[in-house]
Amino acid sequence: MLFESPSVDRLVEAFRRLPGVGKRTAERYALHVLSAPAEEARLISDAVRNARECITTCSQCCTLTETNPCGVCANPARDHSIICVVERPSGMMAIERGGAYRGLYHVLNGALNPLEGIGPDELTVERLVRRIEAGDVNEIIVATNATAEGEATALYLSKRLAPLGVSVSRIAHGVPMGGGLELADGLTLSHALQGRTRLG
Amino acid sequence: MRLLELTCDHFRCLNNLRFEPGPGLNVIRGDNAQGKTSILEAVLYAATSKSHRTSTESDLVQRGESIFRVSARVQRDAREVQTEIAWSHGAKRIKVNGVNQTRVSDLLGKINVVIFSPEDADLVRGSASNRRTFLDMELSQLHAHYLHALQRYRHAMRQRNEVLRLPNPDGALLDPWDAQLAEHGTMLMRERRRFVDQLAPLANAAYKAIADNEEMSVVYRSDTKEDVPLIEALAAARSSDIRQRMTTHGPHRDDLEIVVDDKAARQFASQGQQKTAGLAIKLAELELMRERTGEYPILLLDDVFAELDTSRSREVLTTIPPEVQCLITTTDFALTEELVARKPRVVEVTKGELTVS
Ligand SMILES: [Zn+2]
Repeated sequence: MLFESPSVDRLVEAFRRLPGVGKRTAERYALHVLSAPAEEARLISDAVRNARECITTCSQCCTLTETNPCGVCANPARDHSIICVVERPSGMMAIERGGAYRGLYHVLNGALNPLEGIGPDELTVERLVRRIEAGDVNEIIVATNATAEGEATALYLSKRLAPLGVSVSRIAHGVPMGGGLELADGLTLSHALQGRTRLG
Repeated sequence: MRLLELTCDHFRCLNNLRFEPGPGLNVIRGDNAQGKTSILEAVLYAATSKSHRTSTESDLVQRGESIFRVSARVQRDAREVQTEIAWSHGAKRIKVNGVNQTRVSDLLGKINVVIFSPEDADLVRGSASNRRTFLDMELSQLHAHYLHALQRYRHAMRQRNEVLRLPNPDGALLDPWDAQLAEHGTMLMRERRRFVDQLAPLANAAYKAIADNEEMSVVYRSDTKEDVPLIEALAAARSSDIRQRMTTHGPHRDDLEIVVDDKAARQFASQGQQKTAGLAIKLAELELMRERTGEYPILLLDDVFAELDTSRSREVLTTIPPEVQCLITTTDFALTEELVARKPRVVEVTKGELTVS
């Protein structure tokens, strides 16, 4: 640890909660925040607090949004008969960057992962089922990550959704093996969406 | 493939060691705990960055030191290849031909060795997991996609077993993992069966030559019949898997059945037969590697004569093709006429120091 100070320790621990941040990086961030002018630290903490207070989850697609429903769900120009299922908002953002997809989304909030205690109830699967049952939707594209958990989730969804009378397909993975959607570039994702294959 | 030079610093009891073996047979003679086995271990380490005696690298550093270095220079085809592994305070640096390598997989395959040591007796007399480890190690070296499938298979199984531990496992939550187990497991079983089919006749030929025409067979054994798709075997076993809360079918349950002189070698063979069977499998591997790479690997035989009678010991040496470079350790070595004919290079090891006889 940097100093014999519980409050600095807490700050380092807080940074370490961020994805991809190890002990060394967390200490560097803490040192930066503490040695920069007080204004800088206030800027960061205010930004975190404000964003967190303004952002909520969309009552339809479960993505993070400032308005409810989100901009995509509220847009009448989008095709409301197709839903692309992603693990996280970052996957949705990656596909939006591609610019070619005109349908809606559904954010699962993760993937099936028994070892981490994540089953269907921890995901937004039932909300997806209710959206489909409400009508209008006739196609589901599963764009979970190309990991063991993402593939397992895709297969689970194909069986769970089959009785609802929608067509379920899986995106063709030009997405790097073992990787998340956010690692793929927009063009690759547009191709992947077009090259989807029917599941189940 | 031929080892031209091995150098070691602070590796076990070997320091400032430089060893230049000859082509063909090399005998490393010495009393126990003088460093004979460490020389073979160093060759294996330079080739794979792994030891056959320990998985803890701090065991390899000389007492009182914090760094060690091992380097091997070999001739393969007409080229020379040099590997160097330096270990310092827990961190390892690998170089091939003087260039730093970031991954162990970039080292593998540069120097090919086959080692037979007393630990390999477990291949025959140990549990099934020893034999599965042998298959997985060999096949992972032969095909990169095997290792990949093995890792994904193990991961899917941990996930499936976790579902099986839930109070009321839901079939819909098992299906996705069954699909992944079946996909990767089928590939693992197919590659293992193919490997064993190639290995078995070669092992039998080596065994017969050493053991005065006694026969040996090696067969891949699985509860999943070859003509039943693994996905169906998993489905059929599901209710019993749920009861037992574990995955009861698949390559992680399979075994190699080794039969010697019409008896299951694990329970009924003598120590000499078990050792000979283990050695025959390693000699078969030597042939398989030559088929694949076009060159024999370097053969390391650690204390191979213990537990073998004199006639088998003699046959071991005549079974090894003369173009194989072989390093043999022994406490006691009588130069028989056949051996003299092979012009072995003999070195003595005392307290980690080499002297050429
Ligand atoms: Zn929305």
